[in-house]
Amino acid sequence: MGQVDRRRFLRLSWAGAAAAGAGGLAGILASGRAPAAGQEQTVHWVRWSDFVPASDQLLKGKLTEECKKATGIKLRLETINANDIQARVTSAIQAQTGPDVIMSLGNWVQLYATSLADVSDVAEEIGKAQGGYYNVSKMVGIYKGKWVGVPWAIVGGLVAYRKSWFAEVGYDKFPTSWEQWHDAGKKLKAKGRPIGQTLGHTFGDAPGFWYAWLWSFGGKEVEADGKTVALNSKETLESVKFATRFWTDCCDPGGLAWDDTSNNRAFLSGTIAATANGASIYLEARKKPDTYQTEKGAPMKDDIQHAPLGTGAGGHFNLPIPFTDMVMGYSKNQKAAKEFLRWVHSKPVFEEWFTSQQGYTDGATKDWEKDPVWKVDPVLEPFKNLPEAGRLAGYAGPPNQKAAEVVTKYIIVDMYAKAVQGMKPEDAVAWATAECKKVYGA
Amino acid sequence: MIEGARWRRWVFFYLPLTAFVVSLLFPFYWMIVTAVRPDNELYRPWNAPNYAPFWTLHPTLEHVRDLLNDTLFGTWMLNTMLISLAATAISLFCGLLAGYALARLKFPFAGSIGTGIFITYLVPQTLLFIPLSDIIRNFHLGDSPWALILTYPTFLIPFCTWLMMGYFKSIPKELEECARIDGAPRWKAMLYIIFPVAIPGILSAGIFAFTLSWNEFIYALVFLSSPEQKTVPVGVTSELVRGDVFYWGELMAGALLGSIPVAFVYSFFVEYYVSGITGSVKG
Amino acid sequence: MALLSDASSGIAAGTARRGPITRLLEDERRLGIALLAPTVILLVLFIAYPFVKGVELAVTDTRVGVPGPYVGLDNFVHVWQDGIFRVAVWNTCLYTLVTTIFKTILGLWLALLLNRSFRGKAFMRAFILLPFIIPTVLSTFAWKWMFDPTFSVINWVILHLGLMSAKLVALTVSAVVNFPHFSQIAIDADLAPLFGSGRINWLGDPTLAMIAVIIVNVWRGVPFYAISLLAGLQTISPELHEAAAIDGAGPWQRFRHVTWPLLLPVTMVIVLFSVIQTFADFQLVYVLTGGGPANATQLFATYAYQIGIGTGLLSQGATISLAVFPVLLFVVIVQLLYIRRVETT
Repeated sequence: MGQVDRRRFLRLSWAGAAAAGAGGLAGILASGRAPAAGQEQTVHWVRWSDFVPASDQLLKGKLTEECKKATGIKLRLETINANDIQARVTSAIQAQTGPDVIMSLGNWVQLYATSLADVSDVAEEIGKAQGGYYNVSKMVGIYKGKWVGVPWAIVGGLVAYRKSWFAEVGYDKFPTSWEQWHDAGKKLKAKGRPIGQTLGHTFGDAPGFWYAWLWSFGGKEVEADGKTVALNSKETLESVKFATRFWTDCCDPGGLAWDDTSNNRAFLSGTIAATANGASIYLEARKKPDTYQTEKGAPMKDDIQHAPLGTGAGGHFNLPIPFTDMVMGYSKNQKAAKEFLRWVHSKPVFEEWFTSQQGYTDGATKDWEKDPVWKVDPVLEPFKNLPEAGRLAGYAGPPNQKAAEVVTKYIIVDMYAKAVQGMKPEDAVAWATAECKKVYGA
Repeated sequence: MIEGARWRRWVFFYLPLTAFVVSLLFPFYWMIVTAVRPDNELYRPWNAPNYAPFWTLHPTLEHVRDLLNDTLFGTWMLNTMLISLAATAISLFCGLLAGYALARLKFPFAGSIGTGIFITYLVPQTLLFIPLSDIIRNFHLGDSPWALILTYPTFLIPFCTWLMMGYFKSIPKELEECARIDGAPRWKAMLYIIFPVAIPGILSAGIFAFTLSWNEFIYALVFLSSPEQKTVPVGVTSELVRGDVFYWGELMAGALLGSIPVAFVYSFFVEYYVSGITGSVKG
Repeated sequence: MALLSDASSGIAAGTARRGPITRLLEDERRLGIALLAPTVILLVLFIAYPFVKGVELAVTDTRVGVPGPYVGLDNFVHVWQDGIFRVAVWNTCLYTLVTTIFKTILGLWLALLLNRSFRGKAFMRAFILLPFIIPTVLSTFAWKWMFDPTFSVINWVILHLGLMSAKLVALTVSAVVNFPHFSQIAIDADLAPLFGSGRINWLGDPTLAMIAVIIVNVWRGVPFYAISLLAGLQTISPELHEAAAIDGAGPWQRFRHVTWPLLLPVTMVIVLFSVIQTFADFQLVYVLTGGGPANATQLFATYAYQIGIGTGLLSQGATISLAVFPVLLFVVIVQLLYIRRVETT
C-alpha cells in the first residue's frame, strides 16, 4: 500500500467514523461515497501475526480479492500478536461487539465456548470432505456435542538440531531416548554447544516441551474423570529428577528467561545445538542463507534437521497447538462468516494458503498429510503427521477451562523450573500437585 | 559552585554527572546503533570474537524504511498525536477548573470531592479495563479514538489538579481582591487574571499529561481493534513482534521515531516545565 | 499594579447587569461546584462506575461471557490461599520499596548536580528526561535486548571491564616487581577463562530478574524525580545557603539543615505519586519477564491480567486487583499523614 492510498484511507475512515455518529445520510455525504446498492457483507477476521509472514501477505492480498469475487464478501483481516488475542477476545465478549471471527490457539475455544456460535454444519462438512479431523482438533472444537469453532490448522513442534555437531559427538542418527539425549547433550555442552530449551513463562515452547516430557515419563495431570489430580505419582517424580540432571548437564541455563523467540535467536546465532520449536527456525535460515551461517561459513540451513522429541518410559508424545476459528456469538454477520469459512477451507483455496506455509503447519484434517508441499523440502517432512501423537493440556481429562488455568498459571512448567533451580524434586512435585488441586477443586 | 581544588570539582561534580548521563542515555545510543545495524550483525552473540556492540561499520536505513513502508507507522503516529493532544486538552480543562475551585473557593463538600478525586488515582487499570469495555460499548465508542480520549483523563486529571492547586495556592489573594473591588465578577477575575499567571503551571501539567497519554498501553490495546486506529506503543509491539521473531531493527527504529514528537515538545517547553513545577511547589 | 487596575477596570466596565448566570458564577459555592462538574462527571463515569462494576465482578463468579452468581467473599478467600498471589504481593511491595528508595536518592543527587550552573545546562536538562519520555513498552524492549542471555551488551561490558581491570592489576604488579618477563606475560595472558563464561543470566535467575526489573524502573523514574526535585531546589533561596555558609556550615551540613527540610514537602508528594504508580506497574514486567522466571517478578497487576485474560476468570482477576487496594490505601494514608505533619511544622 502506497503512502497516498493509506492517507486517503485514513481520511475516509476518520470521516466515516465521525459521520457514523452524525447519522446515515449525513454520514454518506461526509465520506463522499455513494451508498452501495444493498449492504456489502463484511467479515472481520482476527488472526495471530503468522510466524510465516508470507502467508499473511497472501491472505491480506490475493485471497481477499478472490474472496470478494467468489462470494461477494469483503474480508477484513487483522493480525495481532498471539499474546494479545485473549485480551481482545475478552473485551469483545464483554462488550458484545467486535470482530466476527477470531482465531484461537490451543484450548482457548473451550474457555469462551458459551459465547460462540454453533458451527457444526460447516465443520462437519469440511471434516467429511477432507479425510476427518485429528483427535486434538475435535477435542478443542467440540463443546457439549456441538462444534463451536472450525478447525483451521495445527502447529506442532519438533526438535531442530545441528546435524554436524551431533555427528561430531557420535550421533549420526539423532538420539531417540531421553538417556541418549542426556549423553549427547552432555558431550555437546562440554564443547560449549548446549541444548537450549525454555523454562520461562511463554505460551508456546514451554508447555510444548515440558508437557510432552511429563507424558513421556508416564506422568499426567489429572485422571480421565477430569477431577482427580494425578500429578503426585512415581512417574512424575522420576520425570522431575531426570529433568534436573538433564538441565544441569546439557542445557543452556539462560533458558529460564527465554520466551518463544529466544531459542530461535540462540539457535540461529550458533549458541545452541538443538531446541524444540516449530519450523520457524529452519524457515528463517532458509530465507536468509547469507545472514545465518555456520562457524565454517556455510549456510546454516544445510546443517539443520528435525527430529521428534525424546521417548521415555511412558512413550512418545507432543503437545500440538490446534488453531480454531471461532464465530463470535455477538456477531451480526454470522451467516457471512460461516460462508466465508466454508469458502476458505475449500480445497483449492486452502491449498494456496497451506503451500505458503511451506510445512510450518499441519492441516486439521488428515488429507493434508498427502499434500505436495511436504515433498518440497525433505527437511520439513517430519512435521507432516505430528498431530497423530499429540495430546492436549489437561490429559487425561478434557482440555477444558481448568486445564487452561493450569497452563496459564504455568504450574507444570514451574514445577520443573523450581526443581532445576534447586528445590528438591519431591517438594516441587508436592507444590505443583497442591496448586493443581486448588484449580481442579479436588 | 563547588569551592576548593579542581580535583574536588571533578570528583563531586563532573564524574557523577557524567555517570548519570551515560547510564541514562546509553540505552538510547544502543537503540540508535541497533536501528541502523544490518541484520547479519544483529544476531551475533556477545561472546563471538567480532562482536562490536558500540558501533557498526555498515550502517543501513533498511529498518527505518521497512518500518515506514511495511507497517502503518505514520498512521499510528498521527493517531497517538491526536489522542494525546485531545486527552491533554480535556485533562487541562478539567484540572484547571477543578484546581482553581479546590484551591480558592469555599463550598460544601470541597474537602471530600478533593479527596475523592485523589482516591480515583489509586484504582488500578487492571481492575477497570473490563468494566470499561461495557461502558465503551454502551456509548458506541469501540474501536474509535474517542474511547481513549475520554478514558485517559481519568488518570491525568488527578495529577493536573494537584499541580494546578499548588500553583493557585501560591498566587496571592490580593490579586483577585483587587479585580473584584473594581467590580469584576469572580469568573472574569479568574479567567483574565489568575489563569494567565498560572501559564507555566498549565504548560507543565500539559506536558506531563501529554507524556502519559503517549505512553499508555493497556487501554489502547483493549479498546482499539483495527490496525488503522492503533497507537504507536500498541502498533509497534503487535506488528513488529511476529510470533517467534522480533524484528529488532524495526522495533528500535519505531521506538526512536515514536519518541521524537514528545522529545521535541519537551525541548521547547522544559524550562516552562521546571518553572511550572517550581511555582506549584511553592504553594 | 497600574496595569492590573487598568485590566480590572476594563473588565468591570463590561459587566453592567447581573443576570442569573452571573449570579451563579458569582456565588462562591455554586461556582465551585460548577467548576468541578466536568471533572466529577468524567471521573464518575469512567472510574467510579467501572469501579463498582469491578467490585461486582469480584463478589460474583463471572467468567468471560458467562455472568455468574453472587458468591460473597469466596473469591477473596480463594485468592488469599493462592501461593502465587502471595508471592505477587510480596514482589510488588519489595519492588515498590526498593525502586522508590533508589529513585529518591539518585533523583535527589542528580537534582543537586543539575542545580549548579554549567555549560550546556538547559540542553542537559532536556536530554535527561528522555528515559521518561519514551513510551515504556518500547524502552523496555530495548532493555530486554540488552539483558538477553545470548546477546547481552551488558555482559560484554562487564566481562571486558573485568578483563581490563585484571590486566591492569597484572601490569601494575609487574611494574612494581620489575620483572620484565612478567609484564610481557601479563599483556599476553588470556585471562578470559578466569572469568568463567561471563554469562550473567539476567532474566533467568530469580534474584537477577528482580534486580533487572528494578534497574529498568529506576532508570525510567530518576529523570522525573530529578527534574521535579530540581524545581523544588530552585525555590530555596540562595541567601539561606549563604547565611549558613557564613555561620561556618560545610556543604553536608548545609544540605542537612537547609536544603533537606525545605525540600521535604515536595519530595514527599513526588514520592506519593510515584509509589501509587509503581505499585500498579504493569507494562514493564509484562514486557521484560512476563512475571517469570517461576513468578519471581510477578506483580499483582501482571498476575491479575494473566488470570483474568489468560484463563477468562474475570472474577478472580478483579479480586486480585481489588485485594491489594487496602494495602495501597494504607501506604497512601501513612504518607499523607506524614506530609500533613511536615507541612504544619
